[in-house]
Amino acid sequence: MSADVSPVTYDIVHATRYSYSESVSVSHHLARLSPRSLPHQSCLQHTLDVEPAAAVLSTHADYFGNDATFFAMQGAHRGLTVTSRSCVSVRPRVPPQASATLPWEQAGDHGSLPLDAIEALFDSASLRAAPEFVAYARPSFPAGRPLLEAVADLTARIFEDFTFDPDATTVATSLTDVFRLRRGVCQDFTRFEIACLRELGIPALYVSGYLETAPPPGMPRRVGADASHAWLSFHCPSVGWIDVDPTNNLFPSTGHVTLARGLDYSDVSPIRGVILGGGQHTLQVSVDVVRASA
Amino acid sequence: MESLTHPPGSTAPWQLLAGYQPRGHVHDELVAPGGELRPHYDTFVRSLEALGRHELASRWENAKRTIRDNGVTYNVYGDPEGVDRPWTLDMIPLVVPSSEWSRLEAALVQRARLLNSILADLYGPQRLLHERHMPAPLVFGNPGFLRSCHGIAVPRGIHLHLHAVDLARSPDGQWWVLADRTQAPSGAGYTLENRIVLSRSLPEAFRDCQVQRLASFFWAQRDTLTALAPSPRDTPRVVLLTPGPLNETYFEHAYLARYLGFTLVEGGDLTVRDRRVFIKTLDGLQPVDVIVRRLDDSYCDPLELRADSTLGIAGLVDAARAGNVTMANALGSGAIETAAISRFLPGLCRTLLGEELRLPSVPTRWCGEPGDLQIVLEHLDQMVIKRTFPPVSGQPIFGRTLTPLQRAALVSEIRAHPGEFVGQDEVPLSTAPVWNGQKLESRSLVLRMYVAAAGDSYAVMPGGLTRIAVSGEVPIVSMQRGGGSKDTWVLTDGPVSPMSLLAPPTIRIHRERRSGDLPSRVADNLFWLGRYAERVEHSVRLLRSVVARLADEDASDVTPERTALVRVLVALELLPAGLRDPLSARDVEQELLASLFRPGPGSRMRETLEDLRRIASTVRDRLSIDTWRILNQLRQDFLLRRGRIQVDDALLHLDRMITDLAAFSGMEMENMTRGHGWRFLDIGRRLERAANMSTLLTQSLSTGTAHHAMLGPLLEIADSTMTYRRRYFAQPQLPLVLDLLVADATNARSMAFQVAQLADHVDHLPRDQRAPSPAQEQQIVTHMAEAIASADLDAQGQPDEHGSFAELHGLLLTISDDLRRLSDVVTYYYFSHAEVRVS
Repeated sequence: MSADVSPVTYDIVHATRYSYSESVSVSHHLARLSPRSLPHQSCLQHTLDVEPAAAVLSTHADYFGNDATFFAMQGAHRGLTVTSRSCVSVRPRVPPQASATLPWEQAGDHGSLPLDAIEALFDSASLRAAPEFVAYARPSFPAGRPLLEAVADLTARIFEDFTFDPDATTVATSLTDVFRLRRGVCQDFTRFEIACLRELGIPALYVSGYLETAPPPGMPRRVGADASHAWLSFHCPSVGWIDVDPTNNLFPSTGHVTLARGLDYSDVSPIRGVILGGGQHTLQVSVDVVRASA
Repeated sequence: MESLTHPPGSTAPWQLLAGYQPRGHVHDELVAPGGELRPHYDTFVRSLEALGRHELASRWENAKRTIRDNGVTYNVYGDPEGVDRPWTLDMIPLVVPSSEWSRLEAALVQRARLLNSILADLYGPQRLLHERHMPAPLVFGNPGFLRSCHGIAVPRGIHLHLHAVDLARSPDGQWWVLADRTQAPSGAGYTLENRIVLSRSLPEAFRDCQVQRLASFFWAQRDTLTALAPSPRDTPRVVLLTPGPLNETYFEHAYLARYLGFTLVEGGDLTVRDRRVFIKTLDGLQPVDVIVRRLDDSYCDPLELRADSTLGIAGLVDAARAGNVTMANALGSGAIETAAISRFLPGLCRTLLGEELRLPSVPTRWCGEPGDLQIVLEHLDQMVIKRTFPPVSGQPIFGRTLTPLQRAALVSEIRAHPGEFVGQDEVPLSTAPVWNGQKLESRSLVLRMYVAAAGDSYAVMPGGLTRIAVSGEVPIVSMQRGGGSKDTWVLTDGPVSPMSLLAPPTIRIHRERRSGDLPSRVADNLFWLGRYAERVEHSVRLLRSVVARLADEDASDVTPERTALVRVLVALELLPAGLRDPLSARDVEQELLASLFRPGPGSRMRETLEDLRRIASTVRDRLSIDTWRILNQLRQDFLLRRGRIQVDDALLHLDRMITDLAAFSGMEMENMTRGHGWRFLDIGRRLERAANMSTLLTQSLSTGTAHHAMLGPLLEIADSTMTYRRRYFAQPQLPLVLDLLVADATNARSMAFQVAQLADHVDHLPRDQRAPSPAQEQQIVTHMAEAIASADLDAQGQPDEHGSFAELHGLLLTISDDLRRLSDVVTYYYFSHAEVRVS
């Protein structure tokens, strides 16, 4: 687990480029590319550049408290580049002593949970647990086991049992297929673990964000560092939300920068759009997360 | 039908109620338990008895015909035969005394206020959830709760603009709410149509009973919607958003749009620019202020709601968020369209309104509450089980109808996902009399009432849609299962407000028709309506030319004309490929007539008629009732074929179809406003007529056909026989026939005439100032006109050394190509790429 002790400041550049084979006259987009300010994270600066210039650009706080930017292109164009530049300071997070957390069975008690945690118990249309997920997760959740310990165990097993394979799945692949293949990317592992936890009555949220691209010497380069990353957050009674990253089998600290939180991928997708025309389109994404020079 | 005991004019009293037997253990709307007539039906029954049974039966037949002719239909999902199923209306209205209605009115206004407050809270502070007045899972587990619509301010705080309530009456006479509809309630248009038909069918009874009128409810609704336009403008634009012609209640979308003066649109007709909603019209983008939606909210915006929706408008949620468009009902209103909400309404009413709930819901248990789950499982036999959340799959399950196996399966499903199930006490539905053509039968009923935002409060429609069970035995009321409907008459104590349905009072908003409000999609459909109508007419004329020759002569008497015609019609795929003259009598009946009129694949005629009907239904709000009636008649005249088909009978039907089609084009020429809509319809017709003539001439003059034999039929098909005779007093000769059918611009059937009409139309189309002039479509039409004018038809009408007409074929080919290009260009610029033309 993480050994960071002091805050880290990152300069982040996240560029998304669409190229269309035919001209697009109108397109509408929704971006969630502004890093959130959270107890452990401060967004010091953020700009969003759209090229060619958007006809409309407007930002609002969404249901989950993320900044969502709506923008629209209204003149004919053959390509679109969206560049998000942010400066974010991340303070270390240390998970509580695992043995000190309450037994996992008490995690989903409606009577004592805050409303946002109750909400995180519910599946969305595409994130639905199948009975075999619970059968898989069960061994990590013997009666009375402290919640954090149980979640850490499940996370480690997913990390062991599932192979990182960018070619195995797409955003449209169902969780059942991910489970059958035991392959996928960070989105798949995250959604699978969320589905397991919710089915066991443990509130869990989907988190989108970044990993440091090139960690300091001596630190391993994380999987998923050259694109946006995903992990989850679960609710621990009397502690609050605790993040966990099944792709790297760790509790995030200063190495993870949070963009947005929601119930599922669709609530936090960094950028989505509806395009009229355009024929074939190709998409290029690049992410750079580097430590700001002191 | 049994013989009438009392013939018309007889003075012997007829007892409407004679033999009417209510079921006894339930409330009957007409007769009290003692068997006596309920007093509020007294006037109605006396009025009907005065009419007499014979007259009632005849008016019933008329009413049914009116409904069929007006094309009042209800589409049934998953049933190919069920598309456009005729609506069924009973002759006996449900009569509601004014005192009872007043109580319901007050209760329903309270209920709409309550539901609106709940929506305002759920999409705002969520106090009801924080303070646990409402269980969180009911909202958070509900796919109808649209998080991206949270926090959007709605004009005047109105989320719920139209609310429908299904009511049932229990044996003790008490009304109970079975369900609330808050998403996009249907049926108000059918209610209106029921009223129009029934008040016309029974004017005496309608007058005697002093029935409250419905019109003021609709005007109040319309005025309120219009006043909710976000930015004050002289004439706010209100549109009615429909999922399209395949929706089960599409009839009433078109009907209500026409009645209320709103433009009927599909998602593809709208676009968002600068966070505002616009309608794509031929004249460019026009701003939209209010959207009355009949599309479920989750389908309304592929960007922020269901990404797989092809029915929605990208950016619509953001336009609402920016406060630039008013949605009715507000996006997200489906969140409380769950049976489980009834369980919590009494408490929510006290919390939110500080009032006691005036009208109870059917006792409802939500299995997400452990105590409720226990009760539902213990009393499953007395319960109706429903799914908690949309999409509500399947019908409610009646516990008592389950086999032990089904019961066990249901119980384990409920135990596995208790929050997804609701149990409601089964109410023995009240019954009302239904006229079956001879006497009254008793049927179960459910009453749907409507509440609409009106000014600062709500107004209740003084009437409603009474739905009745399909048979006397099954107390299940469902339009999808083929139940019928009744008009609902609310009586008045005082004089009836004179506001009439047919003559709306002067209203504040301007009712002038904007010519610009022609969505490009509608222009496209009108273009194809013109093409299909002409295609049907051409086909009928061709077929009639063959059938007429079969009727005139002995079928074995082969003439060159008939042989040539059969060959041409086979080439045009109007007759089966294998058909060859001489035809045996058996061929005539089995192959020719049967292929024309019998159901089954391969009838080009039938396919074209279906295309015509389908395309007409997509522009229904643009067609007058008379036009629609003609189209229905056309279908009847084609379909009315049973038993053996005789040649003379077939001819009669083809003649009738020609008359129907003439009536249709007459409506088009005489009754349609000369706007862009009419122009596109006529462009379609002219283009098709010219193309058909070109193809027919090409086929008639191709090698292997005795072209001389085709000259008579050609003149006949082109309705030009009389002109030819008047001019030439001679046997048809090809050069003269060509002159009449191709080059003579005074002949309304000639190609030159069609081209001249097209030239006029394309000159009048809306055009972008920046577009090059002359536009492509003008160039094509000019090219055709010149080709025809410069052709030497005298020379081209003589066969060359090979016995063929190469030059003439070249001319016809040029024109066919030009027509095809014209169709493509019009489609490209005006229909599919409408937004390219507007800035």
